[in-house]
Amino acid sequence: MENEKRERMLIDYIEGNLSDAERAMIENEMAQNIEVREMYDQLKEVMGLLNQTHPIKRSHSLQANFEKMLQQEITKSEKNLVKEHSPSYTKTLSGRQVYISSWVLRTAAVLVLVLIGVVIMNDLNHKREHEKEVATIKKELNDNKKLMMTLLQNQQSASQRLQGATAAYEMNNTDDEIVKALVNTMNEDTNSNVRLTALEALGKFYWQNHVRSALIKSLTTQKDPVVQMALIRMLVQMKEKEVITQLEKITRENSVIKAVKDEAHWGILKLS
Amino acid sequence: MKNLILVLGIAVAWSVAPAQEFKLAKTSGRLEIYIGRVTIEGTAGNEIIFTSNDTRDKEEDDRAKGLRAVNSSGLEDNTGLGVNVSDKGNTVEVRQLKKMNSPRIKVLVPKGITVYYAHESQYGGEVKFRNLENEIEVSANYNSVELENVTGPVTVKSVYGHVEADFSTNIKSPISIVSVYGYVDVTLPLATKADIKMSTSYGEIYAAQEFKIEYEKQNDSLVRYDNKVNGKINGGGIKIDLSSNYGKVYLRKK
Repeated sequence: MENEKRERMLIDYIEGNLSDAERAMIENEMAQNIEVREMYDQLKEVMGLLNQTHPIKRSHSLQANFEKMLQQEITKSEKNLVKEHSPSYTKTLSGRQVYISSWVLRTAAVLVLVLIGVVIMNDLNHKREHEKEVATIKKELNDNKKLMMTLLQNQQSASQRLQGATAAYEMNNTDDEIVKALVNTMNEDTNSNVRLTALEALGKFYWQNHVRSALIKSLTTQKDPVVQMALIRMLVQMKEKEVITQLEKITRENSVIKAVKDEAHWGILKLS
Repeated sequence: MKNLILVLGIAVAWSVAPAQEFKLAKTSGRLEIYIGRVTIEGTAGNEIIFTSNDTRDKEEDDRAKGLRAVNSSGLEDNTGLGVNVSDKGNTVEVRQLKKMNSPRIKVLVPKGITVYYAHESQYGGEVKFRNLENEIEVSANYNSVELENVTGPVTVKSVYGHVEADFSTNIKSPISIVSVYGYVDVTLPLATKADIKMSTSYGEIYAAQEFKIEYEKQNDSLVRYDNKVNGKINGGGIKIDLSSNYGKVYLRKK
């Protein structure tokens, strides 16, 4: 679904139909995500090809031949006009041959129309079904998101907030709002278990740049040993070499307990 | 005259009831306990009841007779148990007055009250929770935590202490127990339907054979350095998260 949306945006971008903000967003995404960039290149190629195709030119000789034949036909039919009298043509100039071919043609045309109709209906149905599906998925996601947000904000109950964070962990998609809420929970929640689960949920989306930077930033502010250790592990697994200086700082801090210092040493060892 | 009757009444009560008691009518909200060692039990009543578990003779300080414990928090012993209980409407806070020697307190808690326990100092002991259907939240540094016949939901963190938990049959989601140095030892009814996560960095994980755990494959591309098990028991359900960095994780059947 995400890809489809992205593709639509990219097409609009190539055609120049995007607002400034959207354009900036998609350019940013292209710069960061190689897949998006590839998608853009492919789309651009395809769209370029489409624009290059010209309507087929009628050749002059073909046109001349056709006109000649038409003329012949007209003269022939004028001769037959008196003999033939069919209700199917009153104003046309067609003769018998034309008449026969015309009912074959008519049937064929009807068939073709019916076929086109069926195809279009089918396609529309498919589209509608697809849209319906997308809508339900969207609704589900939205409902889940709403529920998750409400749970995360329940100040009275840590277990409710934990459930919110677990729900986020189980989501396959995320958006800025969810990431923001999780980052907030990871940094601010009063309960360690909740902060830890929020951290794990964010870890699932580590390939997103803003998630990465939020995790790196959090390393300087986390005070709880349980969360600090989990965060160090995660950053090491992400091969985030940027944090080595911060890890070195942690190993020298007096307020940090031994387990966290050991973890920081281990991290430095793994990253360098 | 009235005062005299009151004093007499108190004196009589004192002599009749040897164990001191402090009661507070509450059936909802949050009970926040900041005491070094405590036993918390469920009750069917509608009052929170505090009693002393101390053996009086041992703790008695003759020199302190007639004096009251004064501390930097400016709190008063308004219970006669060496703790201060302050009712703030939706939350009730319980704090100890002595810095080092925390009194042994037993608290009976009605259903429907969330029990929160927090203690940072190393001058503490074991914290016990028994026969509770309440939501339990524990944030400790040095205390060991014991949960017996509880339903959850439970969130426990102890940095240096171990955690033992024995859950009753009507267990409620979520359960999250973490420790840095202590072991985490959990007993579940065999029929519990759960999504279980167990992890350790430098310890080991043990589980009863009777639990048929359907292990979930890790589908992310990250290299994992720690030992982590995700799986379903009896088809999945309640979220259970057990972890210790240096300690071992045990999962037992009831």
